[in-house]
Amino acid sequence: MSKVVVDKMAMQRALTRITYEIIEKNKGVNNLVLVGIKTRGIYLAKRIANRLQKLENKEVPVVGIDVTKYRDDIQHTDNEPAVLSDEAISLKDKNIILVDDVLFTGRTINAALSAIAELGRPNNIRLAVLVDRGHRELPIRADFVGKNIPTSKQEIINVQVDEIDDQDSVEIDEK
Amino acid sequence: MTTRYLILEDGTSYKGKAFGAEATTTGEIIVNSNMLGYQEVITNQIYHNQIIVFTQPSIGNTGINHKSFEAIVTNSKGVVVKEYSNISTNRLGNLNLDLFLKQHNIPGIAGIDTRELTRRLNRKQTMKASIVDIDDEHAFDQLHATVLTNQQVNQVSTKAPFPNTGDGYNIVLIDFGLKYGILRKLADLDCNVIVMPFDTSSQEIFDLDPDGVVLSTGPGSPRDLPDSVLQMIRDVQKEIPMFAMGLGHELFALANDANVYKLDGEHHGSNHPIRQIITNQIIYASQSEGYAVDPKSIIHDQLLITYVDLVNGTVQGIRHRDYPAFSVQFSPDGGPGPQDSADLFEEFLENVSSQRR
Repeated sequence: MSKVVVDKMAMQRALTRITYEIIEKNKGVNNLVLVGIKTRGIYLAKRIANRLQKLENKEVPVVGIDVTKYRDDIQHTDNEPAVLSDEAISLKDKNIILVDDVLFTGRTINAALSAIAELGRPNNIRLAVLVDRGHRELPIRADFVGKNIPTSKQEIINVQVDEIDDQDSVEIDEK
Repeated sequence: MTTRYLILEDGTSYKGKAFGAEATTTGEIIVNSNMLGYQEVITNQIYHNQIIVFTQPSIGNTGINHKSFEAIVTNSKGVVVKEYSNISTNRLGNLNLDLFLKQHNIPGIAGIDTRELTRRLNRKQTMKASIVDIDDEHAFDQLHATVLTNQQVNQVSTKAPFPNTGDGYNIVLIDFGLKYGILRKLADLDCNVIVMPFDTSSQEIFDLDPDGVVLSTGPGSPRDLPDSVLQMIRDVQKEIPMFAMGLGHELFALANDANVYKLDGEHHGSNHPIRQIITNQIIYASQSEGYAVDPKSIIHDQLLITYVDLVNGTVQGIRHRDYPAFSVQFSPDGGPGPQDSADLFEEFLENVSSQRR
């Protein structure tokens, strides 16, 4: 049985609020780079960038990051893809907003931080997630949260975005 | 029905038939183009001092019911309609409009060519008007001599705080002429609301330890309110998530150094498309607007424009850049009108919950 906990409207509102909060915290969009984590984080980062652009009339760069090779809980293969989707974008001295769909154990974020650290020293890094479901295994917290959804470890959080899943929703599934 | 006259400041006189109270009345005359919800309109405190012309040609046909009041006390000054209809078809309707207006001493006038009248009033500075028994020189002299109060908020705002209890967030609602639709929406979301008078100080608000503060809609010009209200807004927005509507929105803009001007021809209706800038989404909302925020006066380092009216280009929403404080010119509670923007109340509570983390 799956249960919709965030519908299309609520997801749009959450991204809108995160956008405003980014402007509040960053004092505008200067020096900002959005780094979306692999599949859905990238689409969410693009949507936030699109909103920032509408409000501020400034293009905010978005880059995708693949953290597979930095994960400590996955066996590594030989032919791993490039870390950044666009290697022309420098992260050095930038204000980075790391964007992901779900914050769970914190291991993905930890891997992303390691990856970014190897690419140069940013000015600061903040974390935006659509869903915080708890159960952290590392001392990591998000600066911008779309929705806090307390879950049990037996549950699965399923985020869908229109770009690849043809709908916007967050659902809870039983394992 | 007795013959009565609607006379305007520019010298025009319209002959019509009386309904409602027999009193002589004077107020600013404005046009409301909502197709539904005359009861909500007539009872909205925003129409304090105003005579309402309805473009919807048949008014009175759904009676008066207990669910559609926007205030207990009705402060509008008169009702102008094409046709007064006494056939009440509302299953809740025990009372008809004629009787309701008599009870509240509000005169009505029917048989007026409201389309012609609307054209005359459209896009011009708001005029004074009277509903009178005889349209002689004396009546016009009286009309010209009448000075309407600019202390409307003082008159309609609650004198003492009162609660509207709930189990959820603790919300302080500042009453500038509270529309009950706002209370209904906050109640739907389980908020524990404390309604406070318009001249509440920031310290009195902080003492109540609210999770969020709402500034209500209300009548008149934002410039007729004391500067202490603007100082309260500046103090509170730094500390507590804020949501303002209508007059509250205009005050929020003034508090953040933007300018507010009087519209040529007030806009009361729900037929203007409004664009949400951040998503490009188009919504319709219940609008009752005599004033607007001047976009040129908005300091980009302080405020962001969030909504724009696509018909007259007016600013419909702003948000503070540094704090979770935002406002809209329209009425997101509907009452009457579309509910497209009702989720602004959810947006506000999401700001609240985000700050509490």
